[in-house]
Amino acid sequence: MSVCFPASRYMRRILREPFLLLILTGIILCLLIFVAYPMIRVFSYPSLKDFVQVPQNIRYLRAIRNSLLMVVLSTSTATLIGFLFAYTITRTDVPLKKVLKVISILPLFSPPFMVAFSYLMMFGKNGLITAQLLGLRVSIFGWHGLWLSETIAFFPVAALIMEGVLQSIAPSLEYAGRNLGATGFKLFRTITLPLARPGVAGAALLVSILILSDFGNPIMIAGDFSVLVTEAWMRVEGWGDVRGAAVLSSILLLPSLIIFMIQRYWVRQRSYVTITGKITQVEKEPTRWYIKWTLFSLCSIVAVMILLVYVALLIGAFVKGWGFDWTLTTNYVKSIFSRSPELMHSLTFAVIAGFASSLFSMTAAYLVSRKRFLLRKFVDFTCILPAAIPGIFFGIGYSIAFTRPPIDLYGTASIIILSMIFWNVSMGYQTGIGTFQQISPSLGEAAANLGASSMKIFRQIEAPLIKTSFFSAFVVSFIRAITTLSVIVFLSTSRNVVATFTIMNLVSDGFYGKAAALTSFLLVIAFAVLGLAKLVIGKRMELFRV
Amino acid sequence: MGEYHIRIVNVNKSFGPVEALKNVSIDIPRGNFTTFLGPSGCGKTTMLRTIAGFYELKEGEIYIGERLINRVPSHQRNAIMVFQDYALFPHMNIGENIAYGLKIKKIPNEEIKSRVEKTTSYLGIQGLEKRNPGQISGGQQQRVALARALVMEPEVLLLDEPLSNLDAKLRMNIRAELRQIQKRLGITTIYVTHDQAEALALSDQIAIMDTGRIIQSGTPWEIYYKPLNEFVADFVGTANLITGRVSESSDKYLLLDIDAAQIMIEEPNLSVDTGSTVTLCIRPETIEIFKGMPEDKTNVLKGKIVNYIFEGSQIRYWVEIDQKKVVVDSFDPSEKGIYEGEVAIRFHPKKMHILYGKE
Repeated sequence: MSVCFPASRYMRRILREPFLLLILTGIILCLLIFVAYPMIRVFSYPSLKDFVQVPQNIRYLRAIRNSLLMVVLSTSTATLIGFLFAYTITRTDVPLKKVLKVISILPLFSPPFMVAFSYLMMFGKNGLITAQLLGLRVSIFGWHGLWLSETIAFFPVAALIMEGVLQSIAPSLEYAGRNLGATGFKLFRTITLPLARPGVAGAALLVSILILSDFGNPIMIAGDFSVLVTEAWMRVEGWGDVRGAAVLSSILLLPSLIIFMIQRYWVRQRSYVTITGKITQVEKEPTRWYIKWTLFSLCSIVAVMILLVYVALLIGAFVKGWGFDWTLTTNYVKSIFSRSPELMHSLTFAVIAGFASSLFSMTAAYLVSRKRFLLRKFVDFTCILPAAIPGIFFGIGYSIAFTRPPIDLYGTASIIILSMIFWNVSMGYQTGIGTFQQISPSLGEAAANLGASSMKIFRQIEAPLIKTSFFSAFVVSFIRAITTLSVIVFLSTSRNVVATFTIMNLVSDGFYGKAAALTSFLLVIAFAVLGLAKLVIGKRMELFRV
Repeated sequence: MGEYHIRIVNVNKSFGPVEALKNVSIDIPRGNFTTFLGPSGCGKTTMLRTIAGFYELKEGEIYIGERLINRVPSHQRNAIMVFQDYALFPHMNIGENIAYGLKIKKIPNEEIKSRVEKTTSYLGIQGLEKRNPGQISGGQQQRVALARALVMEPEVLLLDEPLSNLDAKLRMNIRAELRQIQKRLGITTIYVTHDQAEALALSDQIAIMDTGRIIQSGTPWEIYYKPLNEFVADFVGTANLITGRVSESSDKYLLLDIDAAQIMIEEPNLSVDTGSTVTLCIRPETIEIFKGMPEDKTNVLKGKIVNYIFEGSQIRYWVEIDQKKVVVDSFDPSEKGIYEGEVAIRFHPKKMHILYGKE
């Protein structure tokens, strides 16, 4: 019984604070109902027979094979380009470094399907570049288009992670290497690369989860080349086969969960990244000219590929008929204001979800890092878990769990908002945990020791830091919510339709103009919120903590 | 010792608007242990890194032997550095760490093996080869870092505060060891520290640095007893700085009026004009302390003890004289006991140092 003793003692302490207990119960209940329950429903909805029959289904097998192929291809290229960028930005003196860096993070704040959509406009059958400028009769449609889009859409994540890794390698290690005789490539091969290797592995794993669960790009550009996520969607859309979709999503969840665990609990521990304080003025060894210009050209090509995405959207929003009628028009932009409930829906849902998600996750983070209670491990795990859940799985879970009694939210705004809230919980939660770790309890103790009351401690010491990370959490949740397609694709009906869903339908029906206009507006909103937040919190804002 | 091994001539270095080194010049004899000593931000580490070749040198010259090394890359200078944080490669074990430089130089494996063995046994760190840097103690890490440098048989050894991450006792031990190794190998060594005790204990030559300049260089004895100005006097050891007006001046002696009394200095180190103001540096251990008045009343001042610290082998007193505090170290208090209240102190006429110039 001695094992139970500490927990029961903590519980008793919590019982003495009824308000705290109430919040705690609320959080645990929410996590049970809105994270754990829908997941269980996905697994339990199909019968065992459905799972057993998977190896006999040729379409399933093909989807599995295609998904694997794309994970291998796109992860490799995205990680490679990510490393290229990170290395160029942290270790060389190429010109326009700041510009390259800014361009490389743009896709992080854009709808994931946007890259595929734009490339379709640029390099498709009626593509501006392929057909109009070069007069080629080729199309990017298919697996190679998907490969390109996913690489461009997800390399920024890898770049961001590896930049952090490269920056945290103690400068003295590279100095020591140079001093002992290693120069140029030898230094890179024997010191820099091996030290970055765990970080590279971590980045690759995270990117592979994103690619495995990517829905927007394959649905727009892959065509017949179906991967697990799109196959799941086809099941429901084409045959009304929710069971099949549940089976496919379950197959999808397993690898991403495993990869996530490996990344979190194994690679992280092997990381060499140590913060040894004292960052001295580092004078970089001048990069040799041919390396410098090779890196610069490669990064520039990638940067141009990113910019093309936005250029295509802008042009697309203002021309009458993409591919055949290039006269300018403002009709599409106007029509968005006149008769488009989806944009209003997107905005309001994302604001509510972003706010609620940040509030929920920060509260959970506070409780987990500062209080001892029963089920603390469960709260911690369930709050991180959504990061490993493919959006499509989450969406199917909600559509199975909450569209029939006891909880019937079919076609309501609530079901979409709830799915956005809990799918994004992990983002704010990890930011929150980071913040509370940063605020050492001894800070509060010191203040208390000097005579500050606990309210005062909170207001003067903890609140300012929390405010910053709350804003960061809000921005990330908001942008993810307003740009997500995979989560809401199974939940949207004509009553609660959001912009991303409409865009998907418009693109698949070939209405590029209105789709481009709508996407542009989503982008404007996302970047406006981002800019506003940057203005309010400034440099301390930490987005996309990974 | 005759010939200079390293010559640093008029070196300037700035980082953007910050001037880190201003006109630094110093000559270092072969086999000499030279320390750059100064507060943080004084430019001592920048100097060391410039010698190591991590910073580009645009103004000034550095010679190792006859060779101008301004444009020689770091690894061809044969000047190996031991870093403050040791910079042991975390992805290699101890053996690989020590052998790293030799491998890069493509030394045959046999020779690498024997040289690594020789160095590790020399530094008393045999048997650690298969461990990782994280698995050994701070003192061992320190030795491994030293081994990695020494195994290269460098012409010049550069040490960047290598003892600052060790606890006090270990620091004392390794300090003694370091000096012994350096003497035995006869390797020209440049050491950087902010710890004046370390500098005094280790060095043949100390260069005191402040705001990018070398303020004074000399032997530890010179630096301690003949400081050039108040900064040096204050930074190295404890100094009583007393200012007064010269009332009589000759080659043999000097009379100085301070607030309370007149002080006589025999054999002054500088000739100064009558009527000018000078500052004296008087080390605490050169001052005598008496309960009651001594018979010879030259240079005796009366005062009151305001505080003391008993340190076993000595007592440090703070004696107030005319609202000024004078620090006095009294050695071997075994019979005298601890004084309190009114006392008299005496400045030794030959143990006072006149500072050049007043800042």
